[in-house]
Amino acid sequence: MFETSISHNNVPVLRIEGKIIGGAANALKREMHQQIEQEQGRGGLVLDLAKVPLLDSSALGVIIATLQFLKKMDGKLVLLNPQHAVINILQVTRLDTVLEVYSDEESATSALGS
Amino acid sequence: MAETILAVDDDIDILELIQMSLTAEGFDVITANDGMSALEKATAYSPDLILLDLMMPVMDGFEVIGKLRAETQTRTIPVIMLTARAQTHERVQGLHAGADDYVTKPFDLDELTARIEAVLGRTRSTKYINPLISTMGDWFTEEGVEQLASHLETAAVIQQNLIPQKAPDLSGFDIAGFLRSSMTVSGDFYDFIPLEDNRLGIAIADVRGKGIPAALLMVMIRTILRLICREETSPAAVLKRINDLLAIDTDPDLFATMVYGILDSAAMTFTYSSAGHCYPLHLKNGGAQVDELKMGGMILGTFDHAVFESETIPLAPGDELLLYTDGVTEAERKSDETFYGEERLSAILQSNSDQPAETLCQTIETALFDFSGTDHRDDDVTIVVIKVKDGKE
Repeated sequence: MFETSISHNNVPVLRIEGKIIGGAANALKREMHQQIEQEQGRGGLVLDLAKVPLLDSSALGVIIATLQFLKKMDGKLVLLNPQHAVINILQVTRLDTVLEVYSDEESATSALGS
Repeated sequence: MAETILAVDDDIDILELIQMSLTAEGFDVITANDGMSALEKATAYSPDLILLDLMMPVMDGFEVIGKLRAETQTRTIPVIMLTARAQTHERVQGLHAGADDYVTKPFDLDELTARIEAVLGRTRSTKYINPLISTMGDWFTEEGVEQLASHLETAAVIQQNLIPQKAPDLSGFDIAGFLRSSMTVSGDFYDFIPLEDNRLGIAIADVRGKGIPAALLMVMIRTILRLICREETSPAAVLKRINDLLAIDTDPDLFATMVYGILDSAAMTFTYSSAGHCYPLHLKNGGAQVDELKMGGMILGTFDHAVFESETIPLAPGDELLLYTDGVTEAERKSDETFYGEERLSAILQSNSDQPAETLCQTIETALFDFSGTDHRDDDVTIVVIKVKDGKE
């Protein structure tokens, strides 16, 4: 359900496919942590949510924990193309004010690229 | 949820071996290969246990233990030392420095796992009690809370005990609450708090996660709420105080959503604030219209700079307010993976608006059962109904 590629400006882009609910949140956490361990992941990650119809509170928890961790290292967590239901959740929880959200990959990766 | 172990060793081969074997045992394993990054990761991830090599260049294991024990956030994380077989003196020194146990290298994987399990077993209960103690200050001793937790046997009992035992009595209103715990305990709760001048504080909250940690966070929120709600004038200020107290201590992925509102029976208003909770519904105009009270807000307990807003809506006779947790709208019909959703909920509110508050709660619960075709719930279901009497009752 995850596929990670490195953008031309050396930013990891995690493409996620499917609902992130229940146990999937732990898998997402592992994947994000693995990327952060790598040299190119230190500055942050882009999560491509174009194919994520829904995420639950566990997923939200993992995203927040990773965001907080990256912030301590002056990194960022950037969201790409969240869909309607996910946007809704981000607005209700006001996470849209602490996460950067973009609708095209170029802007998303350059928000992180050095 | 899998427990997280931070493995620290300057030998990459040993780290990989540990990571592979402990992952196979079901742990989430993160690694660090020097003392500095061990401390960073301990702070960032709050692991459940740290496996720490004593002999490392630059910052050795003793120094790491000392620094871990000096910081509030990492003070209670259990540490198992990895030492060479011959170094008895170091083992003793490490235990004095605050390590919980040791394993000698080269180690047997079964022994390592057994020691991890043993240490985790001892510390599991205190992990979530510590933040509780620091928030409540001298109110509770560690022993006191631990005893309480063991006496209560399960988190479900804690949860059931927190719920108001009877509906509040507020002139001109008919109010009821309903909570149905899922098979696995989670952290929904609701509360009614009588305030001065014929006003009533109403809270509904959903703590993320399950079991004892969620239940204890719930206890913290409820306790703080009850302590401060009379000191603050606006619901937004109440949520802000709760958030600021929680944000200091809790793990970043332990959080809650909540709506707190004040029902004023003299002014006939409802003033509320939300911390990322699903939108309450407001039935008005004699049942002709259902509004979502679209108020966003930061979730509780994660960001120390969170801000909240309050809004006041007027209430008329016959109006109804429905507060609920997402266990209602996310009740799932497995056959076609459809969720119950807000639309069905507002329709049922509209078509049953003549029912007393308590009956309406039951009607919604029955509708969820009919919809999902099972009485198994993946999440708690909590409903609070507030009806403004229209004089005919």
